[in-house]
Amino acid sequence: MNKRNLFYTFMLSTILLISACATTSTGSNEVSVGSEKVLNISVGPDLMTWDIHDHITTTTETIHVNVFDYLLMRDSEGDIQPHLAKDWKQVDDLTFEFELNEGVKFHNGDDLTSDDVKFTLERVAQDNKLRSHGDYKTIKEVKVIDDLNFQIITSEPDPMLLSRISRQASGILPKEYIEENGWDHFKESPIGSGPYKFVEWKRDNRVVLEKNDDYFKDIELDWDQVVFRAIPEESTRVAELLTDSIDIVANVPPNDWDRVNGSENSMIVNGPSNRTYMIFLRAQEGWPTSDVRVRQAFDYAIDDKALVESTLNGGGTPTLTRINPGNLGVDEALFGEYNYDVEKAKTLLAEAGFADGLTIELAGPTGRYLKDREVLQLVAGMLEEVGVTTNMNLQKWGPFVELREQQKHKDGYLIALGSSFFDAGQSLEYYKTERAESINGYSNPEVDQLLEEAELSLDQELRMKNYQQVQKIVAEELPILPLFQVDQFYGVNKKVELTPRLDELLYIPDIKRK
Amino acid sequence: MPPFLFQDTFKLNGEDSMLKYFAFRVMQIPLVLLIISFLIFILVYIAGDPVAMMLSADASPQEIQQFREALGFDRPFHVQFGHYIMNVIIGDFGASYQYGVSALSLVLDRLPATIELATASMIIAIAIAIPLGVISAVRPNTLIDSIATGLSAIGKAVPNFWLGIMLILIFAVNLKVMPVSGTGSWKHIVLPAITLGTAMSAEITRLVRSNMIEILQQDYIRTAKSKGQKSLVIIFKHAFRNSLVPVITITLLQMASLVGGSFITEMIFSWPGVGQLIIQAVYEKDLPIIQAAVFVTAIIILLMNLLTDILYRVLDPRIKYN
Repeated sequence: MNKRNLFYTFMLSTILLISACATTSTGSNEVSVGSEKVLNISVGPDLMTWDIHDHITTTTETIHVNVFDYLLMRDSEGDIQPHLAKDWKQVDDLTFEFELNEGVKFHNGDDLTSDDVKFTLERVAQDNKLRSHGDYKTIKEVKVIDDLNFQIITSEPDPMLLSRISRQASGILPKEYIEENGWDHFKESPIGSGPYKFVEWKRDNRVVLEKNDDYFKDIELDWDQVVFRAIPEESTRVAELLTDSIDIVANVPPNDWDRVNGSENSMIVNGPSNRTYMIFLRAQEGWPTSDVRVRQAFDYAIDDKALVESTLNGGGTPTLTRINPGNLGVDEALFGEYNYDVEKAKTLLAEAGFADGLTIELAGPTGRYLKDREVLQLVAGMLEEVGVTTNMNLQKWGPFVELREQQKHKDGYLIALGSSFFDAGQSLEYYKTERAESINGYSNPEVDQLLEEAELSLDQELRMKNYQQVQKIVAEELPILPLFQVDQFYGVNKKVELTPRLDELLYIPDIKRK
Repeated sequence: MPPFLFQDTFKLNGEDSMLKYFAFRVMQIPLVLLIISFLIFILVYIAGDPVAMMLSADASPQEIQQFREALGFDRPFHVQFGHYIMNVIIGDFGASYQYGVSALSLVLDRLPATIELATASMIIAIAIAIPLGVISAVRPNTLIDSIATGLSAIGKAVPNFWLGIMLILIFAVNLKVMPVSGTGSWKHIVLPAITLGTAMSAEITRLVRSNMIEILQQDYIRTAKSKGQKSLVIIFKHAFRNSLVPVITITLLQMASLVGGSFITEMIFSWPGVGQLIIQAVYEKDLPIIQAAVFVTAIIILLMNLLTDILYRVLDPRIKYN
């Protein structure tokens, strides 16, 4: 073979090889877009994993929640309702007893029994390498009474147990299927008992689910098939919505709202989330903000209402507490309120010895939360008005998390935290001396005492009273400045009826076809 | 010139020397990969461990520390590195921190999509670049040349993200003739391939043009002209083919870099390739994925370099490895 032929042969085989590779990648994933009974959704990133205990993202949970059933489930207002468990009672301080619904089957036809519950909850409670372990480690044991009855025994009185098992990572897994086939197989071909069954997952591309005709609940499912598309880029998601290829897109940025609302087939649907924007301030000695008057001055300098109006077109609610309505222990009197009085802020600063102003540094993430950078920039502008020069330290999420964990930040930082437990017990822990030590050094013995009493008490009345008391105290002392509760914003095709849930999940049975 | 490594240190001649040269080049690959692995480990180690990011923002420092210990991130540097390098040697990059499955399989799963996009982009780039380059070389310093070189300058200057979004707005949202993003049909690849191909074509156009201009001034072209050869034959048979050698080099090297992932284009068009995977892995400090992806990419680039060398030699026998 001469050299020229050798060359042509080589080039031809290279091209053939490349085409062969190419065909295998995207050969058969056409989905019937536009069909009336297919619901196309994009919440942004791809599903992380089918291991329900080994992720921490709402975008992944929003897919899981349709395939796996929780024992109890919150409704769209955030109230706990029966789900797999139809009844439950507290036996003693450490024991809750549950009764499962009859006739619940996994997608392979196996019955869902107490053994599956034991298998699932004990796994996450005992394996400290799972990401959700921390949220379930109070569970000591699940005691099987019979196929439908079981007890959850905790290592200490756990007033948040019911919240714990009605949230992220609370799905019940098929013991037998996993033990027979192994976890790797399960993660590729998961089965649950939920309203939708797994069909396929093409990584970084799509997850396809189909209706479970044998679902144990007598509910009407409007969609035969649901496709979750991975579209990380916001502008691309919006373009998909505008071309009718996707029916629901999450996290539409404010600058696209007019475009979506102005289009023929789609609109913006918003509703409250359980997430609050707030600024953590250092209360340790040595920082200007250790003086409560400085923290109060900041609170008076920042116009929460204006923040919401100008960054989110009003899509949020100013607040003086981190606990939102729908959460156990909320002090509703503090929600919807804010302090804004520039003169008072100046007076407070002068009293604290900063009449000539001061310079601080606030850190914050960029690209993590809706308009996070803009919020911090506006806050800096508002503080400037009262003589506080703010240097901003804006970081991508990774470096920001490290900064926060290692306490490398200076005077404070902006963050937007949710609360998947819907219980003030989780959110108010930040004010305990023990926890605050590694955050901002806040310490108030009265707060500690109220929180500790509530932490181990199963008397929900007492817990609510204590938590409300704590919120009143910290709204005065302000180691954390709550700014506003943020809404969630979906771009939705007009043929779809969506009411956003407080927990930010898209539960398909609740999404209706018009 | 192709990027020969150790070019001057090897003074070998003939077929035998070529084989020895390439054998040496192949033997270099494991060493280069080992050095790359080391550098990546150091860089990711310096960037800090991913533990805090793996847990929810509500996790307490104690929980973070317990998780760090459970995953072994609290071990000293040399222990972690030793463990890691021993696994890399046997081709085990470990499980991704984010996804909990083999990092290498995650990368290899996405490779076909990336190769597919790279190939389509290259075809588009060549289809634009070669006619433009040839025309502007044959008619240098004319209006048509100015337009061609102007277009290539614009092609190079326009950022990928802007072009991608514009193409989506025009062809998908307004004209509705193309899908916005994703995969599924041949139409899905058109817009991302144009986005990537445009910048590449700019470079190739300029290369074809300058080579052609140089070759058209050679003695043998003048001889061909004086023999009365038709100008089309002169341009394509004598000049163009001879100008191809450096063009193929650049094309293959660009192809190699595309296989490393076209981050921005893949993100904009939700193309499920290596680029998207890497960028997410970097954000999440997912060392196994970063390592596996860089490793696979490095192998491809090294092999492409080698292939370029071989092709160079095959296409132009005058090139000796001395």
